[in-house]
Amino acid sequence: MSDKEKSADQVTNKMMDIACKNDIETAFDRYDAMEPECGFGQLGVCCKNCVMGPCRIDPFGEGPEKGICGANADTIAARNLVRMVAAGAAAHSDHGRDIAHTLLMTSQGKTKGYEIKGKEKLLSLAKELNVKTDSRKIEDIAHDVAEKCFAEFGQQHGELQFTRRAPKKRQEIWRKYKFMPRGVDREIVEIMHRTHIGVDNDYVNILQQGIRASLGDGWGGSMIATDLSDVLFGMPTPIRSVSNLGVLKEDEVNIIVHGHEPTLSDIIVTASQDKELLELAKQKGAKGINLAGICCTANEILMRHGIAVAGNFLQQELAIITGSVDLMLVDVQCIMPALGKLATCYHTKVISTSPKAKFPGVEHIEFSEEDALPIAKRIVKMAIENYPNRKKEIVNIPKDKMDLVAGFTAEYVYHMLGGKYRSTYRPLNDAIISGRLRGAVGIVGCNNPKVKHDWAHLELTKALLKKDVLVVTTGCSALASAKAGLLIPEAAKQYAGKGLQEICEAVGCPPVLHMGSCVDISRILMVLCNVLLEGGLGDDISDLPVAAAAPEWMSEKAVSIGFYAVSSGVYTVLGIPFPILGGKEITDFITDKMENVVGAKFGFEPDPLKAADLIVKHLDKKRAALKLKPVMYGE
Amino acid sequence: MKKVYCEVSKCVGCKSCEIACAVEHSKSKTLFIAISEEPMPVHRRNVQSINKLIISDACHHCQEAPCVSACMSGAMYKDKDGSTQHDEEKCVGCWMCIMACPFGTISRRKKLAIKCDLCKDNVKGPMCVISCPTKALSLKDVQRGEL
Amino acid sequence: MNYIIIGASAAGISAIESIRTVDKNGKITIISDENYSIYSRCVLSYYLAGIVSEDKLKYREDDFYKKYNVNAILGKKVVSVLPDKKIKLSDGSEIPFDKLLIATGSRSKMENITGIEKEGVFGLRNIDDAKRIDLRLIKTKSAVMLGGGLIGLRAAYALHKRAVNVTVVVKSKHVLSQMMDEEGASFVQKRMQEQGINILTGLAAKEIIGDKEVKSVILENGNKIDCEIVVIGKGVQPNIELVKNTNIKTDWGIVVNEFLQTTVPDIYSAGDVAQSSDLITGESTINALWPNAIAQGKVAGLNMAGKNVKYSGSIGMNSVEFFDLPTISYGITKPKGEGFEILIKKNSVKNIYKKIILKNNKLVGFVLVSDVNQSGVYGSLIEKKIDVSSIKNNLLDNNFNFAKILPLISENRKNFTEPEYDEILITNK
Repeated sequence: MSDKEKSADQVTNKMMDIACKNDIETAFDRYDAMEPECGFGQLGVCCKNCVMGPCRIDPFGEGPEKGICGANADTIAARNLVRMVAAGAAAHSDHGRDIAHTLLMTSQGKTKGYEIKGKEKLLSLAKELNVKTDSRKIEDIAHDVAEKCFAEFGQQHGELQFTRRAPKKRQEIWRKYKFMPRGVDREIVEIMHRTHIGVDNDYVNILQQGIRASLGDGWGGSMIATDLSDVLFGMPTPIRSVSNLGVLKEDEVNIIVHGHEPTLSDIIVTASQDKELLELAKQKGAKGINLAGICCTANEILMRHGIAVAGNFLQQELAIITGSVDLMLVDVQCIMPALGKLATCYHTKVISTSPKAKFPGVEHIEFSEEDALPIAKRIVKMAIENYPNRKKEIVNIPKDKMDLVAGFTAEYVYHMLGGKYRSTYRPLNDAIISGRLRGAVGIVGCNNPKVKHDWAHLELTKALLKKDVLVVTTGCSALASAKAGLLIPEAAKQYAGKGLQEICEAVGCPPVLHMGSCVDISRILMVLCNVLLEGGLGDDISDLPVAAAAPEWMSEKAVSIGFYAVSSGVYTVLGIPFPILGGKEITDFITDKMENVVGAKFGFEPDPLKAADLIVKHLDKKRAALKLKPVMYGE
Repeated sequence: MKKVYCEVSKCVGCKSCEIACAVEHSKSKTLFIAISEEPMPVHRRNVQSINKLIISDACHHCQEAPCVSACMSGAMYKDKDGSTQHDEEKCVGCWMCIMACPFGTISRRKKLAIKCDLCKDNVKGPMCVISCPTKALSLKDVQRGEL
Repeated sequence: MNYIIIGASAAGISAIESIRTVDKNGKITIISDENYSIYSRCVLSYYLAGIVSEDKLKYREDDFYKKYNVNAILGKKVVSVLPDKKIKLSDGSEIPFDKLLIATGSRSKMENITGIEKEGVFGLRNIDDAKRIDLRLIKTKSAVMLGGGLIGLRAAYALHKRAVNVTVVVKSKHVLSQMMDEEGASFVQKRMQEQGINILTGLAAKEIIGDKEVKSVILENGNKIDCEIVVIGKGVQPNIELVKNTNIKTDWGIVVNEFLQTTVPDIYSAGDVAQSSDLITGESTINALWPNAIAQGKVAGLNMAGKNVKYSGSIGMNSVEFFDLPTISYGITKPKGEGFEILIKKNSVKNIYKKIILKNNKLVGFVLVSDVNQSGVYGSLIEKKIDVSSIKNNLLDNNFNFAKILPLISENRKNFTEPEYDEILITNK
């Protein structure tokens, strides 16, 4: 790992040098060992859905052009792709289901350590879901809201509640093409049915179900996860914090929470502030207990508690390689199985907690809401007791860390722009209409060793800021921006175009708005709905000068997100193409013809600067269609 | 000289070598672009099987190369390093080489004979070897006796 | 050692290369009546078709003779081989030799048709033939090929590519009658006809009409075809005149033994002029084609230089492609007599035809149309005389390939002597 820089983040590069010197293997090395990756897989033309095969279509036309059942490249690629949607939608939605479960149990007084912190949000949800609130105890309201949300998962017919938040025109499109999700789980199950051997073989029809399931994620599972998290753990508001591996401390007990669901991480925050445990830490020679997050768990506790961020997806191993992590506890999603083996080279204890996710060589302490706080305390105690085992001589904590402001929500935008007493989206709409802002783009998604770590996120973000595009971000992309100093108001001066600078100065916000974890992309959907309601920018999401991008995506969740974004009318540019290029027709559909159906399409562009060009062109096209003035400070 | 050996017991038939070969012999040398090139790149290595025996096979760079003897246009030749190479400029597409190759490792692309060139222009060496996930393929010295 | 090689085509050049692998210093003299660089006469039809330039006819570099330290006497004909180890050139001079290779090749067989001497009647054998035809194209609208063999069809294809109206007059029932069976040939014939080449079968020409120049050809049935060019493609005739009045035995060609020696010591013969034994039938014959000439030149050269190498025999085989339809024939394609087994697979829509001829469970020949890529694998089974009973049912499979004969290689190790087979089996445990 020395030939060329693997990351745009110098902390990551430094840590990788250390890993290299100590012959410690990371995902970057494993990626190198995997190259060249299987071409059939990359092109999506390998089918394992039955055991007549595995079948592969020869992309160079010499070998088989059809699978044994007769499926062609388009059919196979479509089936594989929507199965990715199913997995991604399942992951987000199961996350949402868990939050609903925790809220339900909390409302029944069955949990230890949780309380309903987002009362305002609960009441507005209750209203939306027709739950009576008058003279009712908050717990009872929460109970009914939780049950109503729970029901969304198993619903067999009708339409998901939150799809009504979408513009009317959008809902009509969904109904017309049978994209309207009937129930979160049902659509995922139907994907699995349709992609079974000999069921759905028409790639367009297969994609129809993929779209429906993805909408069940974006306007169902993910949205429930976000909203109920806000109810349970409180509405985030902008908060300052710091990011990157430099947040780890030499003289404190370092605990890293890694994974996705706030249920665990939030209670760990509480436990880490326990006086007895702090006292114990001092006894063990530590000055305190230092909590830091990785991946979306980091985003959840960052935006609600200001807990520091250790890093994003590709830094999870590097955190352990600092030799300073006394305990890393993990729940679900994007947790590398490599951690178990890696931790044996250090004193670090890795603890898995979810009954859904166990790892080879990793100690499992099963988490349950009923005993949330005692379990959390037990884990924190383990970390403290492990602190003296730290091998001082191999501790390498990089100095660098970066300030950030995180925790913007669809709701907060009202206050941010309108002030406390006349909260409104008007200034945002006006900024776009006047051309001070060209538009807004959501840059989201993972890290992927196929792309120089964080590089594509940052290049794309910076290129768009320069063009007066307001960037909103979530997930690992948000953490990339955080580490690069894009999440502070001062960044506007350095990176933003003149129009965006004026907005940032007036409002006092960063040019890149951190909106949470990957399930929180539902927040971005709500921002778009709110902008439309404010008026003056068309009547469907596809009218808006907005776009989305996932320059370094790798997970199936990202596929589902991409699908619900595009199906909601948002042009979405992916840095790594979907594994479908072996099917020429499906590729053509996804990157072109789909626009005729949902008013948006996908773009595949690995070069972030070219991606920025594509997006700017798109925003300008939308602005022109809305007959808006040219961009105020455009060239 | 060196040639590519296939350790049959390790070959799982994944055809990664075929793809790597085609991409290496494409204009773009990039999978996602190569699949849409015109003319379509051709892989010179083919994964074949009989019963449970799987072999990834390509030109053996024979010592007494029948394709070289059969070539009436002088396109097929033995290179200084002992490998059997093909000058596509000279090829007229008469398929005498195909008729002569006892391994069936020469194929046709339009009017050109196509065969393994050991990726002679790539400093990294044969891409099939690099792509092989089970290391069934390897580039090794050939031990052949005198003529 | 003082070597003389007569003829500068496949066999002669191949002999030089093989002599030099053994004898780096011996004196080699090559004599050719053609004053050109080393060129491939097999590529002439491609040259005529305009597919390759004259430069591409060369199959060895211009400095070949220099590189191999060969004294080249070009543009002079050897008129006779003299008794006391000497040869006589057309200019009367005589050159002595220690070892002589006669690789004089063959020439187009010119039929005894009235009018054959007229301007515009050609063979297609030498570069001069090709150039003369080329020169005449400017005043040519139509051409007639007399003969539907490889030469006739190649010439027809070439002239068709040059926008000439081509008629092929074939005496046999079908084209390529020497090369393959009627059914296999029908694919070729059909394709050529579809592409606008007129093919008349079961007919011969009676007379070539014209004053000084060709004007038309009269057929047996009295029909007249107007044309400016006639190409005679009625097979070839070995150039054996130089050994008349010697003790060198001739039959159809110069008779050689398995060491490619003629009946006179120190005189060898190879290529289209040499009559050797057929690997498959064992008969003494001439399979006049490039790979055989190369192989014979190589064996003859080695033996002239003192080695003792046996020639396994020639094989009748050929490969052609017309209008994107490749065809390969090999060995016995039209079996006559008892004991043959024939496997056929065809698809007239896809123009696929595979015919395999077996005798005593061994392959003795095949014809492949369209799907020709595995022909060499079949060829090796023929050459090595392998019993294929165990894979007989798979021989015509679409996915037949080299892997399918791996078990046969294991069972018949002594037949597969080339080191490359060891290299496969070493890793085959």
